[in-house]
Amino acid sequence: MSKLKYEGPVIKKMNAGLMNKFGTRTEYQPVKHIEGVAVKDMIAKYGSPLFVLSERQMRNNYQAALRAFKTRYPKVQFAWSYKTHYNNAVCNVYHQEGSWAEVVSGFEYHKALKNGVPGNKIIFNGPDKSIDELNEAIKNDSLIHIDHFDELYALIELSDNLSKKPRVAIRVNMDTGIYPMWDRFGFNYENGTAWNAITKIVASGKLNLVGLHCHIGTYMLAPWAYAIAASKLCDLAWHSKNQLNNPIQYLDLGGGFPSANTLKGAYLPGSDTVPHIEEFAEAISSTIISYGFKPDELPLLILESGRALIDDAGYLLGSVLANKRLSDGRRATIMDFGVNILFTSFWYDHKISPAQDFTHHSEDQVLYGPLCMNIDVVRESVNLPVLNKGDQVVVHKVGAYNMTQWMQFIAMRPNVIMIDMKGENHVIRQKETLQYMEMLEETPQHLKDFKL
Amino acid sequence: MFKKIGFILASVTNSYSILFFSNHKVFSLLLLLISFFNPVAGFSGFIAAFTAVIMAKFMGFNTSQTKSGIFSFNALILGIGFGSFFETSPVFYLLLIVGALFTLVLSVTFNGLLGKYGLPFLSLPFIITFWMILLASKEFSNLGLSQRNIYWINEMYAAGGKPLLSIFNSIESIPFPKWLAAYFRALSAIFFQDNILAGLLLSIGLVLYSRIAFSLSLIGFFGAYLFNDFTGAFQAGINPYHLGSNYMMVAIAIGGFFAIPSVYSYIWAFFSIPITNIMVISLSKIFGVFLLPVFSLPFCLMILLYLYFLKMRTITGKLVLTPIQHFSPEINLYQYKNNNERLKDEYYFKFYLPFMGTWTVTQGYEGSITHKDDWSKALDFMILDNELKSYSGAGTSLENFYCYNKPVLAPADGYVQEIADFIEDNEIGEINREQNWGNTIVLYHLPGLYAKLSHLKKNSFTVSQGDYVKKGQVIAYCGNSGRSPEPHLHFQIQSTPYIGSKTFAYPLSYYFQQEGKANKLQTFSTPNEGSFVSNVNPNKLLQLAFAFQPGYRIKFKEGNNIETWEVYTNALNQTYISCLENNAVAYFVNNETVFYFTNFYGAKESMLYEFYLSAFKVVLSFMPHLTIKDVLPLSVVRAPFFKWFQDFVAPFVQLIKPGYMLNYMSIDDEHFTSEINLETTLEIALFGKKSVVRTSKISLIHDKISQFIINQRGKERVFTCID
Repeated sequence: MSKLKYEGPVIKKMNAGLMNKFGTRTEYQPVKHIEGVAVKDMIAKYGSPLFVLSERQMRNNYQAALRAFKTRYPKVQFAWSYKTHYNNAVCNVYHQEGSWAEVVSGFEYHKALKNGVPGNKIIFNGPDKSIDELNEAIKNDSLIHIDHFDELYALIELSDNLSKKPRVAIRVNMDTGIYPMWDRFGFNYENGTAWNAITKIVASGKLNLVGLHCHIGTYMLAPWAYAIAASKLCDLAWHSKNQLNNPIQYLDLGGGFPSANTLKGAYLPGSDTVPHIEEFAEAISSTIISYGFKPDELPLLILESGRALIDDAGYLLGSVLANKRLSDGRRATIMDFGVNILFTSFWYDHKISPAQDFTHHSEDQVLYGPLCMNIDVVRESVNLPVLNKGDQVVVHKVGAYNMTQWMQFIAMRPNVIMIDMKGENHVIRQKETLQYMEMLEETPQHLKDFKL
Repeated sequence: MFKKIGFILASVTNSYSILFFSNHKVFSLLLLLISFFNPVAGFSGFIAAFTAVIMAKFMGFNTSQTKSGIFSFNALILGIGFGSFFETSPVFYLLLIVGALFTLVLSVTFNGLLGKYGLPFLSLPFIITFWMILLASKEFSNLGLSQRNIYWINEMYAAGGKPLLSIFNSIESIPFPKWLAAYFRALSAIFFQDNILAGLLLSIGLVLYSRIAFSLSLIGFFGAYLFNDFTGAFQAGINPYHLGSNYMMVAIAIGGFFAIPSVYSYIWAFFSIPITNIMVISLSKIFGVFLLPVFSLPFCLMILLYLYFLKMRTITGKLVLTPIQHFSPEINLYQYKNNNERLKDEYYFKFYLPFMGTWTVTQGYEGSITHKDDWSKALDFMILDNELKSYSGAGTSLENFYCYNKPVLAPADGYVQEIADFIEDNEIGEINREQNWGNTIVLYHLPGLYAKLSHLKKNSFTVSQGDYVKKGQVIAYCGNSGRSPEPHLHFQIQSTPYIGSKTFAYPLSYYFQQEGKANKLQTFSTPNEGSFVSNVNPNKLLQLAFAFQPGYRIKFKEGNNIETWEVYTNALNQTYISCLENNAVAYFVNNETVFYFTNFYGAKESMLYEFYLSAFKVVLSFMPHLTIKDVLPLSVVRAPFFKWFQDFVAPFVQLIKPGYMLNYMSIDDEHFTSEINLETTLEIALFGKKSVVRTSKISLIHDKISQFIINQRGKERVFTCID
């Protein structure tokens, strides 16, 4: 007998309920409205697919997060993570709420400046900062978070003849007991590189070391890891003050707080497993407060949360293009949106709701995108009511990263609208046009025409 | 030596004005002059006062009291009375000196006896001494009662010659209305005189000293006449002497001096007249038996009764007895009003909110749920979100509630008096009536002043019994123990140290109350149910720039002028800035939350005065879109005519209101501040019409006041810090 072929194990929902004359029922509810605006109307007006953002939800998230920290720690500042979503309208919602800007490239830096964020309220992170960008950040008194020694040396060189010392912080990576350990950014704590960098900065006398920064990972499910991170940063701050006489003015715990999306491979839905932001706030605040700083010398606590503040404020509306049966009999539904604009479907099993009434019959099915490309799978297996051509769906919690990581691949990017506090719609990014796509293209003279 | 002579002269002259409860210099000199209209009386008055002052100084009584003239004014009246009634002779002078010394003894004694009860001794020493001498004088054969009072014009002629006499005569012959002449005569009778010139000068002096006192003297005068007409008592108790020394003085003392002038004090002054009248008549009859004049005895008794009577009240009410005597009804009134509006800081121990961030008062004083009866003055706090929900998610577990497990702070410095920490948190919706208060901490702040925080989480206390806690320190975490169906924080002030003690109303010092989108600063008040409140976060730069520690020196320059200011503390632990060049002094208070000036003395031309007006009050927290308002003292207004008019009506209405406003203009960075700009405005409301008098721009750079620019009537003046 030949060896049996290996098949990966599959977890399947067991249906062992009583027999029911109505057949299998689903608990799905159609989502016909977002913030009181009809999905049907929005698609009719702005086309399908369509990204929808709720200003109310964004503000609510921000205020809830701020409240979680401010009721535990006296000095808190949020900085909006531009890479999560740098549409100007979105950024300005957070800036209006009081957020600074956290940027990781010259492009984002200029975007923040252009939005009107004062230079001294921009945190410049990331491993890639050109000399010109560093010079500009120094001139604007921005907070430069140093990622590696080469950048540190470059900064010391740039600061040679300055009257005012640039304000810098170092990014610290560390073992907080979670995997993977993000040690590719910044200076390591355990092996002493971080302390080495701190002493180098203070000894140079040319830079003003005002802060310490860490960002221990993304979509973190363990609040206690932040407590460890906070305590290690406090350690460095304490020694910087007591050994080097260089008090640290702020600790930047970065972001990484999860949204309630369900990660691929997770057994339980994210809404049941993800810790509340209050728990992260508790872990961080109580660690710093009880560390031993004098009450009036407590460092400012900066947070760069992005995803947790916007993910559930974003929706993707789409329509069914076609239905088909796959060779193994499974049902497949082809949507008009795919991984090109819903990049996060690589990470999450997004919750998808039909936008109209349906029968109670549901079926496991594959959701494909419209791309002529094998990887374009939105959900590998999802139990949904039977959808017909033209039916509309709502994809939930798509506010973070999608509208910055989306690809112009095969299709163009759709409209993005924001529903404001009064329920009014505003287009905050128009759908792309052929003219826009070709705007930057240049065709050499000899390729201008051809004959077929 | 010169210092000593100066001291004695000042003490003697003060004895004159203090007769009218004043320490006004010009008024004293005027009174001194008037006393010499009857030269012998004037002279003997001066001698008597002089003797009392020298003796008081020599015996080592309190110098500031001696200087104020309160030990010598009785001697002064005695001397004047003596000179008015008796013939001069060696025995006269001997008795004068003895009498003066005896009034001093009585003054000091009565001061001690009555002072204990906060009562003045008034002219009792004079009355007693004079009586004793009067009674004894019948035995002194060399000392007879003179008829001087009738022939005093002769003496005036002898002293001042014809010119003085002609002035006197021409004034006497002016056809004043009868009542006016009577008024002047009554005033002069206080000095045992009976002439219009003295009364006229005295009334001018009285107006100069105090408009309020003057108006009260009229009330006393006319009130007495009115009452007399009403009762039909023919002239009984209404001679010029009684009009002056009793009715008018009673009206001034009750209406303006011992009470803060107000409608109520004026009403009291008016209704004291009938009682005074009865006293004058009845006492005259009693002492008439011994052939003794009652002098100002009715006045003394009236005032003592009135003061003691009012002091027995448990609630002050609208009629307020003068808390700090400034020897001027106007100053008393304005200071009282100003202090009442501004300086609550001095009356209250400062409590702050016992948590971080914004919480909501879910049950206030006299709350409908549990804040009842003896425990009604308490506050319950919870955290509510935008939708006024106190939880996220299902709200079925403690962790769903925003305020659960949130740090609870010490509301002020104090000792941990009592901790109860053994009660489990309730499930949501359940209450524990057995251990009503749940886990509780009681803090001791001052004798009779305790704060209690209840329904805390078990095992969450970070302090233990007997610990000293600092304001803002985390002491425990919010829980759901005791009579608490859902997590909340109970906060109350009590006067006894027990868990379960009854509450009393006590304000919170400074906090923000959310109104719409903006925060409004509340000072010394108690938040109402439903209000969103948070602590005021001080700004470090503002705190440092206005720190003004004793010994701190700062120099300011305007053009070529330089002023050096130094900060001092006096014996009463009051802090003040003194200008070393011109000795101007500005008193201030800095309580870490607010910096404000309380008083200014000295040259109004100094830069310090400009600074005093520019930074009259600064809340040491950066609050854009918020205007800090305050009331300036009337002394900043430079319009004498209006001010006098204001003084007349001051007890009833304030027509001139100088206001101060502060706006926070710009800050470079809320957290790492190195530059702040403030703008202040001085505004005067005249009959309700407001006009901006001046604006100031204050720049603070790197822990210091680097510059302030004032703009007054289009003229700009720049003061720069140079050191």
